[in-house]
Amino acid sequence: MAVEFEALRAGGDQEPRDEAHASVRDGEVRGLPGGNRWLGVLRTPLGWCAATLLLLVLLLAVFAPLLWSGRADAIDTGQILQGSSGRHWLGTDNLGRDIFYRLLVATRLSIALALLATALGVATGLVLGVAPALLGRRVGRTVTAVVNVAVAFPGLLLALFFAVVFGVGAKGAVLAIGFAMAPGFARLTQTLVASLSERDYVHAARVAGVGRLRILTRHVLPNVSDPLIVNATISAGGALLAFSGLSFLGLGVQAPSYDWGRLLGEGLNGIYTHPAAALAPGAAVVIAGLAFNLTGEAVAKAVGVPTASRSRAPRPAEMPAAPSATAVVPEADAAEVPGEQPVLSVEGLRVSFPGPHGPVTAVRGVGLNVGEGEAVGVVGESGSGKSLTALAVSRLVEHPGEVDADRIDFLGTSLLTEPSHSAVNRRLLGTSLAMVFQDPMTSFNPAMRVGRQLAEVAEQHFGAGRSEALSRAVERLRQVRMSAAARRAAQYPHELSGGMRQRAMIALALMGRPRLIVADEPTTALDVTVQRQVLRLLDTVRAGDGVALLLISHDIHVVAQTCDRILVMYAGRIVEELPSDRLFTTAQHPYTRALIAAVPHMETALDRPLTVIPGRPVTPDRTPAGCAFAARCPVAQDRCRVDDPRLESVEPGHRVACWYPQTGAGPADSLDGKAAFTGEEAELTAGRAEPIAARAEPLAGEGEQP
Amino acid sequence: MSELRFEDVTVRYGTGRRAMKAVDGVSLTVPTGQVVGLVGESGSGKSTLARAAVGLAPIAAGRVLLDGRDVRHRPARGSGRAVQMVFQDPYACLDPRMSVGDSVAEAIPRTGTAARRAEVTRLFGLVGLDAAHISSRPSELSGGQCQRVALARALAARPQIVVADEITSALDVSVQGTVLNLVRDLQQQTRLGMLFISHNLAVVRYVSDIIAVMYLGRIVECGPAHEVLTDPQHPYTRELLAAAPHRDGYAANSAHEESGAVLDTEPPDPHHLPAGCRFHPRCPVGPLALPARTDCLSLDPAVGAVGRRHATACHFAAPLPTPSHQAT
Repeated sequence: MAVEFEALRAGGDQEPRDEAHASVRDGEVRGLPGGNRWLGVLRTPLGWCAATLLLLVLLLAVFAPLLWSGRADAIDTGQILQGSSGRHWLGTDNLGRDIFYRLLVATRLSIALALLATALGVATGLVLGVAPALLGRRVGRTVTAVVNVAVAFPGLLLALFFAVVFGVGAKGAVLAIGFAMAPGFARLTQTLVASLSERDYVHAARVAGVGRLRILTRHVLPNVSDPLIVNATISAGGALLAFSGLSFLGLGVQAPSYDWGRLLGEGLNGIYTHPAAALAPGAAVVIAGLAFNLTGEAVAKAVGVPTASRSRAPRPAEMPAAPSATAVVPEADAAEVPGEQPVLSVEGLRVSFPGPHGPVTAVRGVGLNVGEGEAVGVVGESGSGKSLTALAVSRLVEHPGEVDADRIDFLGTSLLTEPSHSAVNRRLLGTSLAMVFQDPMTSFNPAMRVGRQLAEVAEQHFGAGRSEALSRAVERLRQVRMSAAARRAAQYPHELSGGMRQRAMIALALMGRPRLIVADEPTTALDVTVQRQVLRLLDTVRAGDGVALLLISHDIHVVAQTCDRILVMYAGRIVEELPSDRLFTTAQHPYTRALIAAVPHMETALDRPLTVIPGRPVTPDRTPAGCAFAARCPVAQDRCRVDDPRLESVEPGHRVACWYPQTGAGPADSLDGKAAFTGEEAELTAGRAEPIAARAEPLAGEGEQP
Repeated sequence: MSELRFEDVTVRYGTGRRAMKAVDGVSLTVPTGQVVGLVGESGSGKSTLARAAVGLAPIAAGRVLLDGRDVRHRPARGSGRAVQMVFQDPYACLDPRMSVGDSVAEAIPRTGTAARRAEVTRLFGLVGLDAAHISSRPSELSGGQCQRVALARALAARPQIVVADEITSALDVSVQGTVLNLVRDLQQQTRLGMLFISHNLAVVRYVSDIIAVMYLGRIVECGPAHEVLTDPQHPYTRELLAAAPHRDGYAANSAHEESGAVLDTEPPDPHHLPAGCRFHPRCPVGPLALPARTDCLSLDPAVGAVGRRHATACHFAAPLPTPSHQAT
């Protein structure tokens, strides 16, 4: 799921999210919908526990002194140091005062002092924390150094030190705990501010000439406030505990005032005779501390720091999208079965994820075959379901994603009948199917040498010895034309360049005896020149070992260059399948043609706007009835909006899912400004004659229709 | 209008043994109202150069001049910054908690509230965004729309030069075109000078008047776009051209394909630059392929580059034609 959602996010054009959904992440800005989010957290056990406890503690803090001060201070010399009884639940103290009421009344002072100390600590910490960002490098460094030294000091020691400096008493203790808390908070603030200062939007504001203070207050602090608030809430619990500790030691609240720490200290003397007098204040401290800590956790959940990923998950459709999607699903594409036994044969593949309003089907009935030694490319925009297709084939779709298919046969074995982690499947997939991912950095273990990671495969699946496995790894690295392979094997992944890492990844794929390599955007993170090398390498491997290749890419040129056959995906379905040598000349689906036309290349006419595809891609949760491309299609008729076309063969090896397939001038030619897409009358000959035409007069750009 | 000049700019990161020159003595001019396209692979220093122009990268040596004035001097308050930048990731460059209208408004030099609001509306119109989006947050907009907002913000500061750093590489194919069209359109309307950075030569070709090719912190070739594309002088430029997509897929086999073995070597480590020509360990016409070319191993081709066509940093590039080279 992560893969596809990431893709959705990276991809760009999606539906603008509606008010309610968007404001989930900025609850504090908008009233009601944000409140919903808080209510949601309240419904969790953690949420209501925290809320109840906090409410209880705060109510007591406010009302207990008003209601029960009299009883708490009533001296009854006849009842000194009594144990628990019906009249005095927790007994009495050395002046015969009721401990239970004293405990309730002490809530206010305990809580107030803890909050005061926290406020002081947070304020000081905040000032110290943002100072480096405001004061420039030299002064900033000094502040940072001071804070770092202070952080290294034990907090309680600092508190004791301050308590001595400020004098024994409540005031001294507040200052002591506040200042003791400050360094930690300052450090956190500094780190958060520093990391945020490297964000693009802060850079952008700097470039725009916004002043430091303004950047800090408008861009930095609002965006670091979530973790700071959470931390402050939890610190309040700590402050309460520390304060009770100081009072207990006699360094905090002084008689005749009393807080829980003091009550604890007084009760401790008689702990063997009437333990309730000592245990009850302890329990109060624990409960109040728990209230603060749990509230902190709940707040953390509610403000949910990872805002972006949350709001980018596909949105539930208000429209009955899911039913329409399911209505479409039964018409799964049957793959055209070639004569020989294919390496991989998939029919009616569906991948869905649970959404708030029913399952969201991201892959809607894909069928494909990959023959022995064949290279098949899958091309599509982000959100088209191409990566999920690859993951589903490799049985890598994780919970809560659900894969369902009429058939997934790999080397004649059905992967559907066996549970995905069975020994048979693991063995088969582990040795015969290899996966190459987009970012080799994240697919390697960063703490393990490259050679060892490769050797692991040989040890796991072929029972090779350690040194034998390693020599096999080196040999594979050499096979992927890695210079100084033995030395590379001893390096860590981060020591290799991007291209080298991708080579190592391919070498890893070759460690087994793969019959199929599934490569998901293997060159997207690479430079053009390196990309070419990696593609050439994949081609060499295929030719040399007869390994089949399933190549997933958003780049139609990459796919066309490497593959024999191309599948074009749109909105979770295959819309066209054709041999790659015919892609640029005889593609018939309007989407395929538009995709080809939209990519600028070295012969693109310079004197007119680039061809664009109006509208934006369909998201899996809002798949319309009928053809998913109809809304963006220049030739769509009424029928397209109702009936979803099936993938039909138009000629051998060429299948199109379109009611009105386009023939005539090849798609590659239409990018010289075909009227259908640019909405302009274009002279079809101009610009084509001279590939590199002189710069002409400005032309109006194409608007992206909201 | 104005021209942006990089004079021998060096940007250094790290200190001591780990020091690395991301940009090494680069001189480049963005002439008035023209678009300079800067291509190169990642790690070539093109983004660092862009950041140096807007003060986000520390300049260790050399100067960046705008009309002869060092850009590092603070402009008068309220006058806006003359060099603006558009970033690669349209989502990351907008504050997620601020409405996009506010993000744009923030960049407008000091004016009254009403004037500011009117200016935001005008800018939104200029980049083809519906004024209804002014109060939206970045997360509510698509990638293409966010990139339009970013462009509007750059224009809000009334810049003389806009630096666009890989502004389409995070976008989907179908959206990339709309943003490129907009950039070209805006540039032609406003006659802004522009430094347009991309790793995609086809994209650079589409928007640029001048193309500069960067390799390992140096500019290795720079000239009028169509000349560089039709008559590339540096082997690295030729390599980039060969890797660029053509009408019918990639040009399958370029002339240097057979010497691919040389190009398969890893790009050198910027911490340990090769002596002589920096490209020689990968060069298909260099000492690895033609052992007689020993100059490449020891002599820096940047010296005397001005005497060659497109100021190419290659010992074997064609000299300037006589009579003197004509720029368009």
